[in-house]
Amino acid sequence: MYGTQWPVVLLVTPLVGAALTPIIARRRAQLAGYWALFTFSIVSLAAAALTYQIHTQGEFSYYMGGWAPPIGIELRFDEFSASIAVICLVGWLSLLYCLGYAKHAIPERRIPYFYALMLLCLGGMNGFAVTGDIFNLFVFLEILSLAGYALVAITGDGIAELAAFKYLVMGAISSLSILLAIGIMYSLTGTLNMTDLAVRLSDVEPFPAAVAVAALTLGFCVKAALFPLHIWLPDAHSIAPSPVSAVLSGLVVKVGVLGMLRMFQILYASQVLDLTALNNVLMWLGAISIVMGALFAMVQDDIKMMLAYSTISNIGYIFLGLGLASTYGIIGASVHIFNHAIIKACLFLGAGSLIHQTGYRKLSDLRGVGKAMPITSAAIAVGAISIVGIPPTAGFLCKWYIALGAIEADRLFFAVALLFGALLIFVYYIRMLNAFYFMPPSHPEILEVGEAPLTMLIPIVILAILCLVMGIFGRIPLSFIEPAVINMLAPIGG
Amino acid sequence: MKALWTNIDYVASVVLLLIGLYAIMAKGNLVKKLMGLNIIETAVFAFVMAAGIVDGGDAPIMGPGANPPFANPLPQGLILTGIVVAFSTSALALSLIIRIYARFGTIESEELWGVE
Repeated sequence: MYGTQWPVVLLVTPLVGAALTPIIARRRAQLAGYWALFTFSIVSLAAAALTYQIHTQGEFSYYMGGWAPPIGIELRFDEFSASIAVICLVGWLSLLYCLGYAKHAIPERRIPYFYALMLLCLGGMNGFAVTGDIFNLFVFLEILSLAGYALVAITGDGIAELAAFKYLVMGAISSLSILLAIGIMYSLTGTLNMTDLAVRLSDVEPFPAAVAVAALTLGFCVKAALFPLHIWLPDAHSIAPSPVSAVLSGLVVKVGVLGMLRMFQILYASQVLDLTALNNVLMWLGAISIVMGALFAMVQDDIKMMLAYSTISNIGYIFLGLGLASTYGIIGASVHIFNHAIIKACLFLGAGSLIHQTGYRKLSDLRGVGKAMPITSAAIAVGAISIVGIPPTAGFLCKWYIALGAIEADRLFFAVALLFGALLIFVYYIRMLNAFYFMPPSHPEILEVGEAPLTMLIPIVILAILCLVMGIFGRIPLSFIEPAVINMLAPIGG
Repeated sequence: MKALWTNIDYVASVVLLLIGLYAIMAKGNLVKKLMGLNIIETAVFAFVMAAGIVDGGDAPIMGPGANPPFANPLPQGLILTGIVVAFSTSALALSLIIRIYARFGTIESEELWGVE
């Protein structure tokens, strides 16, 4: 009986927990962290149970309050919804990391609100991943985006508020573009349910449907920070507190990608439009993102700025895979959503520890830190090797699959672009590791600092181990996502 | 031309949307940018609302005087949610602008480029 109510636990717990956080932490701000971690542990338990259920019985739906669609609200659990597992994993580790980090990095009176916003952001993301209704998609998108804008500004130092404002304006435009598309789709079909939409879109006029698809694509590309629409990302992700950067960069930008996957599910099933042109645009923008992100990252001296630009490259890989519209390409892209979340969280949390312990954030100041903080630096090195895509790490398999997808779709050029991009990425991560391990320290006192406290060290080590494990057992997520992709591409004979 | 006239509500939303977009891109003052954002919000809301209007339709409230056709209430419900979201976005943006002004003493984006 209770087992069937996991979806409610998944969605309601973080919202209630977030609302209660400031009350619970009224007298002692540090309580907020433990409360948030406790709340999110329950959510993670629900996510684990639901992922296991998806694994054993395949796709299923849950009707809120027992009301079947079209009246009720449907939650849909398919293989793409299993991203709740990675959301909870990265979110939980980031919250654990916050226990040690927030004390010094965030003004004390803001700490309860900080944890409340983290819960809202992560809970919104879970909702986004499992909803079966395009309007709830928008609602959850706004919950997580608004929490994200506030989280960027929460430290209140430097240009944090300015970066948050830029993020807010771009984010709000993209949300409105998505709302416009939802409005058009509703007036065309009279339904908001994704399954119904896939059926009813098949006999509408192609032109308004194309406008809706364009607006949706624009909105999700801004959220995902695909190349020409990325301008909000570097400032926002580098100025935010490090656990927030890990969540924003590892998870929140993936919301755009998950949204695109949902859109493609509907569009491929309904066959209302010929998507060749859209896929071509996505492929090119993806390839340009890979190269431009890498070029920008190369000239950065600030470690978090470099990681932020590296996110743009990786989003490029995912969009390239999506645009290829071949089975291997999309499998690679969807697994890269998971793997990049783990890798980038490892790197951002690691960089956060370095900044926290040494007080420096420029590569030129951080020279020699590899000797002072061996475990953290080793974890960052694993993350760096992994993001470049050297076997046997997590990054390798997805990039390999995307390259196979390019060959399968007869687009050799993009396979070459992908390898070229990987080389560029290799160059700047080597620069980082060189500074850590082989250069004489520019500040001798850096050799005196020790490792970060355990609550900060453990998440980094777990994530680094996962980077390796996901490479060695990489078949598991690939074969897990495969039926969903084959199902999705079936109507176009993929 | 006739198609434009019969869809005048949609045309008006699109024009509003473009005005808002222009304000965001061309205006330097952060408050004006926010106002541009609010104009876009209004445009999108008006667009979705217009889609739910039925010519000569009544409010869909059941009771003795109720007679079809009814206007579609769902878009209104959606936009109500949208307005709440827009309200919180504006509140957050305004508080960010206050903080930016307190720190840098200006909210003109050209002058703010310098501090970045």
